[in-house]
Amino acid sequence: MATEVMLEKYSGEVFTVSIGATKQEGGSRSHTIKIGGQKALPYLFPEGAIPNKPVIAYEIWDIPPVDWSAELSSAYGAALKDPFTWAEKCVRDFKAEILCVRLQGAHPEFGNRSAAEEANFIKALLKKIDVPLIITESGDDTKDNQVLPACCEAAKGERLLVGSAAQDNYKTLAAAVLADGHNIIAESPIDINIAKQLNILISDMSLPLERIVINPTIGALGYGLEYAYTIMERSRLAALAGDKTVSSPFICFVGQESWRAKEAKLAVSEMPAWGPEVERGVIWEAVTATALIQAGADILVMRHPKAAAQVGKYIDNLMVRGK
Amino acid sequence: MSRFKVTFHPYNKTVEVEKDATILSAAVSAGVPINSVCGGDGVCGRCKVVLKKGSVLMQATGLLSPEEKKRGVYLACLSEVQSDIEVEVPRGSTADFEKISTQELKKTFSDIEDIEPVKPAIRERLFTKMPLTVKLYLSLQPPDLNDKVSDLDRLCGRIKKAENFSALQLGIVNIRNLSELLRSSGWKVTVTLSRRDQTTEITQIEPQDTSLKNFGMCFDIGTTTLTGQLVDLNKSEILGTKTAYNKQATFGSDVITRIIYAREPDGLEKLHCAVTEEMNRMIQELIAEHNVDLNDLTCVLCAGNTTMTHLLLRIDPTYIRKEPYVPTANFIPPIRATEAGIKINPRGLLYCVPGVASYVGGDVTSGVLSCGMNDQAASLNVLIDIGTNGEIVLGHKDYLISCAASAGPAFEGSGVSCGMRATKGAIQKVKISSRDFEPSYETIGGAKPRGICGSGYIDLIAEMLRSGIIDKDGKIKPLEHKRIRQSDMGREFVVVFKDNADSSSDIAINDADIDNLKRAKAAIYSALSCLLKHMGLDFDSVPKIFIAGGFGTSVDINNAINIGLLPDVKRNKIIFVGNSSIAGARAMLLSYEAMEQAEEIARKMTYLDLSTEPAYMDEYMAALFFPHTDLAKFPSVKL
Repeated sequence: MATEVMLEKYSGEVFTVSIGATKQEGGSRSHTIKIGGQKALPYLFPEGAIPNKPVIAYEIWDIPPVDWSAELSSAYGAALKDPFTWAEKCVRDFKAEILCVRLQGAHPEFGNRSAAEEANFIKALLKKIDVPLIITESGDDTKDNQVLPACCEAAKGERLLVGSAAQDNYKTLAAAVLADGHNIIAESPIDINIAKQLNILISDMSLPLERIVINPTIGALGYGLEYAYTIMERSRLAALAGDKTVSSPFICFVGQESWRAKEAKLAVSEMPAWGPEVERGVIWEAVTATALIQAGADILVMRHPKAAAQVGKYIDNLMVRGK
Repeated sequence: MSRFKVTFHPYNKTVEVEKDATILSAAVSAGVPINSVCGGDGVCGRCKVVLKKGSVLMQATGLLSPEEKKRGVYLACLSEVQSDIEVEVPRGSTADFEKISTQELKKTFSDIEDIEPVKPAIRERLFTKMPLTVKLYLSLQPPDLNDKVSDLDRLCGRIKKAENFSALQLGIVNIRNLSELLRSSGWKVTVTLSRRDQTTEITQIEPQDTSLKNFGMCFDIGTTTLTGQLVDLNKSEILGTKTAYNKQATFGSDVITRIIYAREPDGLEKLHCAVTEEMNRMIQELIAEHNVDLNDLTCVLCAGNTTMTHLLLRIDPTYIRKEPYVPTANFIPPIRATEAGIKINPRGLLYCVPGVASYVGGDVTSGVLSCGMNDQAASLNVLIDIGTNGEIVLGHKDYLISCAASAGPAFEGSGVSCGMRATKGAIQKVKISSRDFEPSYETIGGAKPRGICGSGYIDLIAEMLRSGIIDKDGKIKPLEHKRIRQSDMGREFVVVFKDNADSSSDIAINDADIDNLKRAKAAIYSALSCLLKHMGLDFDSVPKIFIAGGFGTSVDINNAINIGLLPDVKRNKIIFVGNSSIAGARAMLLSYEAMEQAEEIARKMTYLDLSTEPAYMDEYMAALFFPHTDLAKFPSVKL
C-alpha cells in the first residue's frame, strides 16, 4: 500500500526583499538579490514555494580588521589593508554576489571617521564594484546615527540593506532608509517579541514591512546556536501562520559569531587535541551557517572564503532538490 | 557600645544608632525613604547613598562601579556606621513611591482623605440582614422570693427568648459587674451580641437602651492603599469612607520586601504599627465626624491580602515567601480588636476575611463575594483586581480558580512621578489634541490638578499613543514641542504646567513612568491570558469581566483596551466594580450569611501559581508593548 505523505499548507508567507537596484531601476548594480518569499518551512519543497536561495554575503571592513585571527586574516592577505582591493578580491576571486561592509572605522575608538568620510567611502566603493551592498554599523549609537544617514544618502537609489536598527535606537536610521529608498536591518536580542515589536515600530514610521530584514542575533555552534535556531523557527512558524509583523527574511552574522569561538581561534599549539586551526575555524563557520540555513536564514554574512565556498556548495545541493 | 549620629540630606534628618548599624536601618528609624527592593539583602543595588562625612565599613559588593566608589557612593544596606556620618540620598535611591522634596513627600504621605466610594456598575448583592454584632435592648423582670433565678441565667434566658440562641461566651468582667449593673439600671440593659463562628458571645452589657447606636468598621488593607468605611449596623448605611496610603510602604513597596523586612529587629512590630496606627487614625476621624462614641463601634472587619493580614495581626509572614509558600493561617478566627492594637470598643471583635493562599488573600474572597461570582445563577465570570498585587479569579458556583500577578502600584498612583490616589485634585480624564498636543483634562472634584490617578494614566497613555507623542514601545518621541523635554528619567511630557496646578512642579509623565505602567498592564493582561489558557478557555468564552481597583471613579474602557490593559472584547462585557474588596467586607459586616459564603468561597477557590507556568513569562514579554506585540489580539485597536 502506498503511503500518503501528509503535507502542511500555510496561509502566510515571508516577504520578498530586493537588495540592489540595477540601471533600469535607477541604481548602478549589476544584479538584484532577492531573498524571502517562502511559503513553507525551510526547504520542505513539497509543502510550498521556496523561490529564493539563501545568499552568502562576504563581510568586509572599511579599516583593517582589528580582532580577526591569523588564520582568518591569511585567507585575504594584504587585501585586508585596503577595503577596495578586499572588495574586489571577494567579487573577482570568490564570486561574491553581495558584500556586507562594516563601518568599523567610524567608531570613536577605531579611527573615528566622520560621516562625510564614510559617505565618500561608500560612494567610491559603489563605483569600484557593482554587486549589491549591505552596510552595517560601527557599534557606537551616537556616531552611527550620523554616519549611517550620510551613507544612505550617498547611496540613494541603490536600494541597499542598511543596519542596524534596535529597539532603543531605530528612528534615525528608519527615517534615512525611508528617505533614500533602502532596506533596513532590524536587530533584536534573540527575542521573538522584540523582533516583532521593532518591526511594528519601524513600520509605524511608514517604512513598509516589506523592506525590513530581521537580524535575530545568533550564537555560533556551541554558543547558543540552538537558542537562535528555535527563535528563528518560532518566528518563521508565526510568519507562515499569517503574522505579517514577523514575516521578514533573516540576516545572520555567521562569521562574526563563529570566529569569536575559542574553538575557531585557538592555535593548535595551545590545544593540540583539537587539531590544526586552519581547518577548525572554517568548519566552525560552515557548520554554524548550515544549521542556520535549516533554521531559515536568508542572508549569511560570512568571513572565511573556504567556509563560504563549502556553504555555497551545500546551498546548491539543497536547491537542486526543489527543482 | 558607642552610638553615632547619622544625618540624611536633603531631608536634614538625624538619628542616633549603635556602632555597626547599617545606614539602611538608620534611614528606616529616621523615616527617610531609601529604596530597598531586596529588603537589605545587598543584591538589588538600589539603596545607593553618597557619604559626605565620617566613616563606614562596607561589605564587598560588585554592584558599585569603580567610578561610583571614587565618588563616595555606598550601598546603605551593606554599610555599617563607624562614626558620626552625613550621607546624601540621591534622587534615584528614594523609595519607589516617593518623591524627593520634602514638600512633595508631604503630599504623598498627606493625611487621610475622604473618598466617594465608586458606585459599582452592578447591583449590590442582597444578603439577609444579620450584622456581625447586634445590640439587643432587654427589660428584665426583677427577681423576687418566688423567682430566684440567678442574674446571669435571667439575662441569658431572656436573650434566648428574644433571639432563640444561647450565648456561649461571656467575659468574666461582664459577670463581675452584672448584678450591680442590672440593679442600678432598673433591670433595663442593652446587650451586645457578637457572632463567633457558630457561637454567640455577649460582648458587653450596658445600662438602658443604646440599641440604636451600633456601628462597625470595615477595612480594605491593600499593599499600597488603605480604605476604611464606617457603617451603621442598624440602618445598613455607610456613614463615611476614608483612604490613605499604607505607610508600610516606607519599608518596601511590595509584599516581598515587607516580608523580608519583618525579619529585621523590630521589623514586624514596625510594620504592624505602621498599619494599625493609620487604621486607628481613620477610625478616630470617622467617629469624630459622625458623632459616634468609640464604645458603640462594636466590631471591625478587615479584608487584606495574606501578607497584610499577617502583618495586621503581627504574625510572622516569613514562610509566605519561602517554598512551598505556606502562610500561618488563611482562616483566622475572630479576635478582640484590642489584641491587634485596633482601638474600638475594648471588647469588640476583629474579623478577617478568609484567604485562599499565600498570594491570594481575603481581599480577593471579598471581591468574589461582592461581584456575586459564586451565585447560583451566575455564569462563568472573571474578576480582575488591579492592585499592587493584581489578582485574577475565574469561575462560577462550581469552581473558582485564582492567580496573582505582581503589577506594582502604578495604577494606584504610586511609583510614578506625578501619581496620586483617586482623590480630590487627581487628573482622572485626559484628552490630547493630535493637532497641537494640547491636553485637556478633568480632575476629581473639579479641583486644581495635584497629580494623576490610575484612570488618568490610562487615558494619558492611550491619548499619547493616538496622537503620536509616544511610540508603541512607550518611548516619548524626540519632538520639538514646549511640553516635551529631557528629564532625569528619559524624556517627559508636561500635562499641566505648575502655574495651572496645585503643585510645586509641573505635572508630567516621563519614559520611566510609562515603562512602569507598561509593566503593570502587561502583568495583568498576561496573567489573565495564562489563567484562561490553563483552563482551556479564551476571552470570548467569558461573558463578564469585572474590574476592581482603586484607579479612579471612571475608567475609559476603550482606552484601557487601547493600551492593552484589558483584552479586546465586546465593551459591554467589561464591568467596573470599584473597590470590590471593601464592598464585600461591608456585606459581611452587615450579614453573617455573607460571611459564611465568603468562607465557602475561600475554601473552594484553587490557586494557579504563575511562577511555575512556563507560558507566563512568554506571555508577559509579549505584552510589554502598546497594546500588545501580537496586534492580532487587538483587532479593534487602531493606533
